[in-house]
Amino acid sequence: MRSIIYYVREFLRPEWIRKFFTAKTAPLETPSYFKGYPTLTGNKCTACFSCMMICPAPGGIAVLRKKDGWEPEVYPGHCIRCGLCVEACPEGVLSSGRILDVTAHDGTAFWSWYHLEVDDNICMRCGNCCVSCPVNRQIDPQLAGSGTSSSDEVIMRIEGGRVQILHEEKCTGCKTCETNCPNSAIRVARMVEGVQIPEAET
Amino acid sequence: MRNILQEIKNAVRSRSIHVSYVDVGSCNGCDIEVLACLAPRYDIEQYGIYVHNNPREADVLLVIGSVTPQWVDKLRDIWDKIPEPKVAVAIGNCPISGCVYARRGTLTSPPVEKYIPIAASVPGCPPRPTEILSAILSVAPLIFKDYEERKP
Amino acid sequence: MKKTVDVSIPLGPMHPCWKEPVRIKCETAGERVLRTEIELGYMKKGIERIMRGRPWQEVMFLAERVCGICSVIHNMVFIETMEKISDIAVPPRAAYLRVVVNELDRMASHILANFSYCYTIEHETLAMYLLNIRETVLDNLERITGSRINTAYMIPGGVRFDLLPEDAAVMLADLMKVEEEMKRYTRIFETGPLIALRSKGIGYMNREEAIRAHTVGPTARASGVEDSDLRLCHPTYQALGFTQVTRTEGDNFARVMVRFQEVFQSIDLIRKCVDTLPEGPIRGGGLCKAGTASYSGEAPRGELTYTITTDDYGRVVDITIRTPSIMNVEACAHAMISEATSIADVTSTFISSDPCIACNER
Repeated sequence: MRSIIYYVREFLRPEWIRKFFTAKTAPLETPSYFKGYPTLTGNKCTACFSCMMICPAPGGIAVLRKKDGWEPEVYPGHCIRCGLCVEACPEGVLSSGRILDVTAHDGTAFWSWYHLEVDDNICMRCGNCCVSCPVNRQIDPQLAGSGTSSSDEVIMRIEGGRVQILHEEKCTGCKTCETNCPNSAIRVARMVEGVQIPEAET
Repeated sequence: MRNILQEIKNAVRSRSIHVSYVDVGSCNGCDIEVLACLAPRYDIEQYGIYVHNNPREADVLLVIGSVTPQWVDKLRDIWDKIPEPKVAVAIGNCPISGCVYARRGTLTSPPVEKYIPIAASVPGCPPRPTEILSAILSVAPLIFKDYEERKP
Repeated sequence: MKKTVDVSIPLGPMHPCWKEPVRIKCETAGERVLRTEIELGYMKKGIERIMRGRPWQEVMFLAERVCGICSVIHNMVFIETMEKISDIAVPPRAAYLRVVVNELDRMASHILANFSYCYTIEHETLAMYLLNIRETVLDNLERITGSRINTAYMIPGGVRFDLLPEDAAVMLADLMKVEEEMKRYTRIFETGPLIALRSKGIGYMNREEAIRAHTVGPTARASGVEDSDLRLCHPTYQALGFTQVTRTEGDNFARVMVRFQEVFQSIDLIRKCVDTLPEGPIRGGGLCKAGTASYSGEAPRGELTYTITTDDYGRVVDITIRTPSIMNVEACAHAMISEATSIADVTSTFISSDPCIACNER
């Protein structure tokens, strides 16, 4: 009995009756602050591959060579809409929700670089890493074959029977060397640091 | 006569969709987004969609999650138990590509298309309830329209 | 001689009442449940295996996808473990923002758990009310972090986005509404005689059993276990003056009421946070270093522990996750359900302990 009275009281509340007769379901819309799939802003991509490097989902984003320059492409079904690529892009090529505005307001950014390490105990000095590296090949086309190079500008080369890493900072993190290494002696470590630059310095 | 009957069937089927969902190894994210569709904010039942977890009376099966080895045979069983006409919709990234689990060392074996036919997929990790709603609403009438006539 | 029929009833793995696959085998004599056994293993994805050898920015997202319901706390505990390993200091503003987001997530999780319970005992009015108010909470979470679930908000040395003043104002207004509504729903639950019939005195677990089964979280607190809330050890919560909710009934009713009370507590904590939010940066930077550490935090379901070993470049070499639900589920099977008088109470008792199978199996 008490519960019947309770429910009668519950359903006789003016708010409930008003809602019952007038309420409409909210339209199916996405709020502006939702991090959707990243879209292109029109800024020019410099093919630094920061977005590909930081993407936590396998195959979420790829920077492809289009007719006029490079352009990142997001794959729905792989992208998890975390927005890290938007924050990591130094040129602001991508945009998603209001991440770009908020990061500009806060002055936040991700700094990322690579560290190459070769385990000399496992390395068998085949030189596959030096030959396969796309940056190496661009700098010194003569590299193909032996893995040795006379140029000092390459990322790594075989010197005296050992892999010498000369310019770590040129690495773009494509991990071609890792996949081509027959016994996974070379490892590319991706180092990421979330930083905030105070507004006074910018 | 036949046409009128078919028209009535089409009209009824497009406004009365019974949904069952099966979680084959997800992170629960898509799972609770399907639940959130029940909320009065989105109110999935105003479109005639009724969510209950019984495959034997379902029209639409929502598959959530990348397939774990334990679910390989059970997912096929569940699919066989659903009466015709039926349709499966993949919710989230996991059934499509495996999401973040599709990596070296994983125990899952995505995509779910290897096991049962998928009619539509809603990408996102997790997709918003609005996206799930519009996907079910758009796919269900198309699949069930003129079902008897298309049958060989 | 009267014949007794022993029937073994399997519930699951696909059952209308639970959202996640789990199988409960109940051995019954008539209506009485003699023994229950919980069969897990339908959701094993091998997340810890995937995590090994990956940098933090990938493991962070995997940790978040251990459990989608309480994703923020998984993120928070993982990041705080990494900070403990590499001695990264968090700016005070970031620490407070973490608490805000964590408490919003806890509110959403607790309301969802109470929704499941009300839905299981077929009190759909209250269930839908609760699910509707959860949307308001998720809206605020989305306004701060940009997504409803799997927010990816925290990074080593800070958080990703700042709390804008206009968002804070909207959030406080929404919290007023949530508090008012939740007070009404709590009254419905507390005073509803039909709910009391399905909840009070059912699934009883006393304090000794709770301690012996190592229950954690609201399940332990409903049985009167003191100091079982790890937020008491967290420095930011200590600064906010956090006290634990404890009830002594130990039945389904107490477990749901503990969650209702913790929602109010979360609202108070968020208000205190926003009022005393310090100015300053939200990211301190800092690189992950080598080391081993173990760290625990209070998830909505209880104690959550990460044990991580990293190498020199911040890659995770070894990781072990201990999630809360595994203790609660076992305690539920052995202490709560096994003495149940009716097979009809098995589902509601199991749901009242707020099981999270995705957490359990990873």
